[in-house]
Amino acid sequence: MIGIIAYGLTIGAILYIISIGLSLTFGTMRIVNFAHALAYTAGAYLLYSVMRAGGSFLLAAAAGVIIVVPLAWLIERFIIRRLYGQSIDYAIIGTYAVLLIGVDGIKWLWGATPIPLSDPIGEYVQIFGVDLPVYRLVIIILAGVIFLGLEFFFRRTIVGKVVVAGLEDKDAVRSLGIRVDSYFSIVFVLGSALAALGGILYAPITTVHPYMGLHVLLVCFAVVLVGGLGSMRGTLVASFALGMVIAITGRVWGPAAETAVFAVMAVVLMVKPLEI
Amino acid sequence: MSALTRPKVLATLRSFDLAVIAVLFGLLAWVLSIQRVTDFVIFAIFVVSFDLLYGQMGRLSFGHMLFLGTGAYASALTAVHLGGNPVLALVMATAAGGLVALLLGPMTVRTTGACFALINLAFNQVWHFLALIAFATWTGGEDGLAVWMQPVGPLDFGDKRVMFAFALVSLLAVIWLTRRLTDSPFGILLRGIKQNEMRVRFLGYDVFRAKLLAFVVSGALAAFAGGLSALNYGYVTPSFVDPGRNVEVIFACLIGGAGSVYGAVTGGVVYMLISNFLPSYVQRWEMLLGFALLVLVFRFRSGLWGFVVSRLGPRAEET
Repeated sequence: MIGIIAYGLTIGAILYIISIGLSLTFGTMRIVNFAHALAYTAGAYLLYSVMRAGGSFLLAAAAGVIIVVPLAWLIERFIIRRLYGQSIDYAIIGTYAVLLIGVDGIKWLWGATPIPLSDPIGEYVQIFGVDLPVYRLVIIILAGVIFLGLEFFFRRTIVGKVVVAGLEDKDAVRSLGIRVDSYFSIVFVLGSALAALGGILYAPITTVHPYMGLHVLLVCFAVVLVGGLGSMRGTLVASFALGMVIAITGRVWGPAAETAVFAVMAVVLMVKPLEI
Repeated sequence: MSALTRPKVLATLRSFDLAVIAVLFGLLAWVLSIQRVTDFVIFAIFVVSFDLLYGQMGRLSFGHMLFLGTGAYASALTAVHLGGNPVLALVMATAAGGLVALLLGPMTVRTTGACFALINLAFNQVWHFLALIAFATWTGGEDGLAVWMQPVGPLDFGDKRVMFAFALVSLLAVIWLTRRLTDSPFGILLRGIKQNEMRVRFLGYDVFRAKLLAFVVSGALAAFAGGLSALNYGYVTPSFVDPGRNVEVIFACLIGGAGSVYGAVTGGVVYMLISNFLPSYVQRWEMLLGFALLVLVFRFRSGLWGFVVSRLGPRAEET
């Protein structure tokens, strides 16, 4: 029981870290960003490469996140920015194209064979008589820290406040003489960096392979749709709720875990259809 | 060619469109192999069914493989359990596709834009899981099912030429049907929904019913293509419902030109030519596909057919 809850919380934490960027990108730019999965996958592969070159896990994780930042900036500058205000279909197709290119590039550089990584901490702690990996607890705590950090960023800093205002009414902010789009691009890069962090954190729990991103992305879309697009707290609640769904279904019938998420999503969308 | 005759060329082509398409596919089958082109024809039917939703109604589905797979499995299961009558199998495939669309439609068609794309993708994922794991006892799981068909009269699908002819006639019938549908007031209603759904609703039309009907027709046609494809290959595997393959039909529809049945057919053929021959020359062909998609999105939105139309005649000619 404790084991299931801990696993659900771990998955929820990782889903939150990845989904928040997706949710913000949609809320600010009205763009469904398939390229998000690319940042996630790239983060995991960079982690693997730096660790193989002899770096520690912390160094490799930092390197992964830092290298993804300029990559995300390039994608924003040359692809996403040209899709603002266009039909959402073109945004979906355009970012999917970026994902295709990126995944093929990863296959080119690293090959298509799945790479397993080991638990970077490798220690266990006993909670209520159940052995839990310390690493998973670290992930859960980290998600909490990120949530608090984002709350601070969006409530206390001027950049965050501009973005929140832009979420509410983009044109009103623009008429105040603020260049909203450049603030949004900061959000995009931030979201991508968090996605990379999510990939890095999840890599030791699963295996690293070129298509890892697309799978997680589908679940994250479910999280974002259930939580409400552009809603930061909704994303938090939905992440942990769906993380629990995955953990519980996974215990009952392993292969059905991800499908259960989509079933939940379908039910939620039936009850409250979104008009996007 | 003088400017005066240009629209006439297009109009003439249009009045003999079915014959022209049949001849072109025949030539293609003669140049390439007949088996390969049968595959092209079936894929073209699938693209036409997708374009009904995307090009006409303006709803981008990221889960149209769901219906292709439903049709393929329905036809395979009919063959296994109800005897190998190919006509019955195709009827069952089409009916199954329509039925599934009728069940899912009320949930999906209420949404628009990204939500529509993603909810279809989610259902596609669920279907893939059902076919691969949950119903593995009936669907054969990863191994899939072999499809054996008995000949019915002159319809012996073991003969590749019969298969080709049947697929081609089916495509022509689907094109004729789709054109009738899109030229009708119903088609105008769909394009109205694409442009401004709210306005159409204010005019007093039952938007939900129109959208559901389009969804069901599109699903049934896609399932018909799936059933044909099962007959053509002689087997069904979960790759027929693979959600990752949705990009194929989207790409085909865009490259041909969304919103026109001829564009859909052109796109289907061009995509199949690319995917059949390019991988043997270019190793990184997925990357190439990605770049091609970007070019299509940024520079070439009307697609190949749109290009032909803008060269040969006034733009108002577009179907």
